[in-house]
Amino acid sequence: MRRAIQGQEGLLFILPALVFFAVFVVYPIIYIARASLLDWNGLAAGTWVGLDNYTRLFRDDPIFHKTLRNAALWTLLTIFPQMFIGFGLAVLLNGPILGRTIYRAIFYLPAIVSPIVIGIVWQRIYDPFGGLLSDVARRTALPWLSQPFLADPGTATLATIVVNVWQWTGFSMLLYLAGLQGLPGEVLEAARIDGATGLQRLRQIVWPMLRPVHLTLILLGLIGALQTFALVFILTRGGPNNASQTMPTYIFQQAFQLSSMGYGAAISIVLLAIALIASLGQMRFLGSRFVVGQGD
Amino acid sequence: MDPNTRITRRQALGASAIGATGLLTGLAWRGETQPVAARAQDATTVTLESWSPIQQTTDKMIAAFSAANPDITIERTILNYPDYILDVRTRAASDSLPGIIGLEPGALTQEYRQFLIPLNDLAVETWGDDWQDNFFPIGLDQARLGNPSGDESFYGLPVLTQTINLWYTLPIFAEAGLEPPTTYDEMLAVAEALNGMGVAPLLHGAADGWQRRDIYMQLAHNLAPGLIYEAEVGDAQFTDPALVEALTWYKRLFDDGIVQAGALGLSAYPNSAGMILAGQAGMFPMGAWWQQEAANEDPPELAQGLQGYAPFRFPDISGSGAPPDDLLGGIDVMFGITTAAEDPAAAFTVLADFISGAGGQALIDTFNDLPAVSGLDPQTFASDHQQQVWTAFTEEWLPNVKYARQLRDAAVKQALEDALAGVASGEVTPEDGMAAVQAAWTAPA
Repeated sequence: MRRAIQGQEGLLFILPALVFFAVFVVYPIIYIARASLLDWNGLAAGTWVGLDNYTRLFRDDPIFHKTLRNAALWTLLTIFPQMFIGFGLAVLLNGPILGRTIYRAIFYLPAIVSPIVIGIVWQRIYDPFGGLLSDVARRTALPWLSQPFLADPGTATLATIVVNVWQWTGFSMLLYLAGLQGLPGEVLEAARIDGATGLQRLRQIVWPMLRPVHLTLILLGLIGALQTFALVFILTRGGPNNASQTMPTYIFQQAFQLSSMGYGAAISIVLLAIALIASLGQMRFLGSRFVVGQGD
Repeated sequence: MDPNTRITRRQALGASAIGATGLLTGLAWRGETQPVAARAQDATTVTLESWSPIQQTTDKMIAAFSAANPDITIERTILNYPDYILDVRTRAASDSLPGIIGLEPGALTQEYRQFLIPLNDLAVETWGDDWQDNFFPIGLDQARLGNPSGDESFYGLPVLTQTINLWYTLPIFAEAGLEPPTTYDEMLAVAEALNGMGVAPLLHGAADGWQRRDIYMQLAHNLAPGLIYEAEVGDAQFTDPALVEALTWYKRLFDDGIVQAGALGLSAYPNSAGMILAGQAGMFPMGAWWQQEAANEDPPELAQGLQGYAPFRFPDISGSGAPPDDLLGGIDVMFGITTAAEDPAAAFTVLADFISGAGGQALIDTFNDLPAVSGLDPQTFASDHQQQVWTAFTEEWLPNVKYARQLRDAAVKQALEDALAGVASGEVTPEDGMAAVQAAWTAPA
């Protein structure tokens, strides 16, 4: 009896969170899932079409196939470069370097700048007609730098990914810096006394001990890569010829520019499924000892 | 409840409110500053949401309106276009639309038609039976673009209109001893000279679909005037050889070095506009709205008094030698009154003022674009050249605009913009591009 009452009290404690979760997470998912089964413009009453939107997505829509490919590229080519470069910067700036606080701020700065501004600036940097890279190409005999990276369907996605890595590497650096400063000094000192070189300490002690940071960055990077909208929208509008289209930009185009809300909802559900499967898979295979949350 | 029933009631309510008070003050053409219609109630609030005109301009319009109409308060929300589209759709779905919304002719207006009040009766009540005579014809034609067959209602009225054309940079052309080209061969020669000067011959922000489409529409009407609208209603095919040829000509602009390198990666705003203002463009594809650069605070030297720029028509590529009859233009932005408007008469008072009253005058004073009605001119010009350009637009070009910039179907428009990018990038042939446009087409209601 007492245990039952305690259980009810416990439920009361989590009730606000449950209500919040139900209203702002569960209900929208159900609403979108239902919308994905309709031919619906978002305004008039929709027509039930069952799984037709999904059939069309996977069977007849080459642009959606491009977004799937781009999601894979974004996931692989943003998460790991950001981690490795961020880790390298963190190691460098964790040492006794003159002006390291200023360097830390400079490297972190892009992470707090609006992606709209970054998109506008980088579009000019990439512009082969008078952009920064073309100027550099002219002055350094590196003609490949003046290629129309954003205008070429073969390079547009990679060019946007490079900008994303540039923007978020500082964030990875910051988390790694926090992780490095939390490492027990005596372990590193013992390794040093035992004769481990700097590189050995880095590879065999520091890197493994930063596992919670790695997991956090992978999870955040995964979610960020799948949600990318503003940067792509500003840099390329998803083009040229839909080459750099991501699922979020395609959802926007379908749902709001073409008024195919049902179809856009179907893409949203696929995106949700991919994000869920990837996140759960990560936790299943890599564990869930994130930086945020209860550590051990 | 059937939305049409609500529309009728609202419309009747609005018309009777005006009629009962008998307070019409007549037309407010030519920028007069008196209120266009007096109000039935002592005080009311009209809500407005749009992406255009920009916030600073809208505030000037509201200030001008409020000075003459202290009994009507306007609460405005101005968002950038993507945010606006998202917000207004959400509001429509949740029955919380503002009283006035910004619209584009064609697809956007038709989507929201069920939420919009037909404005015909209110326009007659306010301006009289011949009210349409004062509007530029292309604006009214486009305002009803995509209406179901037989539906002559205006679900929105143009606030700003525009022409679609090319501009050239006067000092650059003067330095090179060039004249604006009138044929494709001349355009090639001009491009060669400009490339030699390190200037973009035709600075094209081709990352933006609208600018790709604008150029294509000028090419298409040059080769086969009006044919694309026949394809829109099913009387022709988008795969017609002339429409395919227009796409081929678009590709030639890239291949022949007329368009600058990397155009598909450059957006029209703000980047290409910034380059134009920095004097890096010999020619550029903007419409009449480019005049507003002169009205900005502290404009760059080229834009001061519009001294650095002059508009010209897209060169004749057909080789026919016949006088061009392919002026393209239409509505920049139109406003509609929604069924959610608490006081449709008050909302129409605002709308009428923004079209041709004090608010409209404040709008036109910014050179934001061309007016919807004839005779509404900026109160001051910074130079004779600026006035000459304005006069050419409003008296020579706009009254003779024959073809609409917009297409009626959003899917066709998107497919065309995709086809243009695909062909320009070399990934798609013109034939396949137009076949994709045809595949996106569905018969209009």
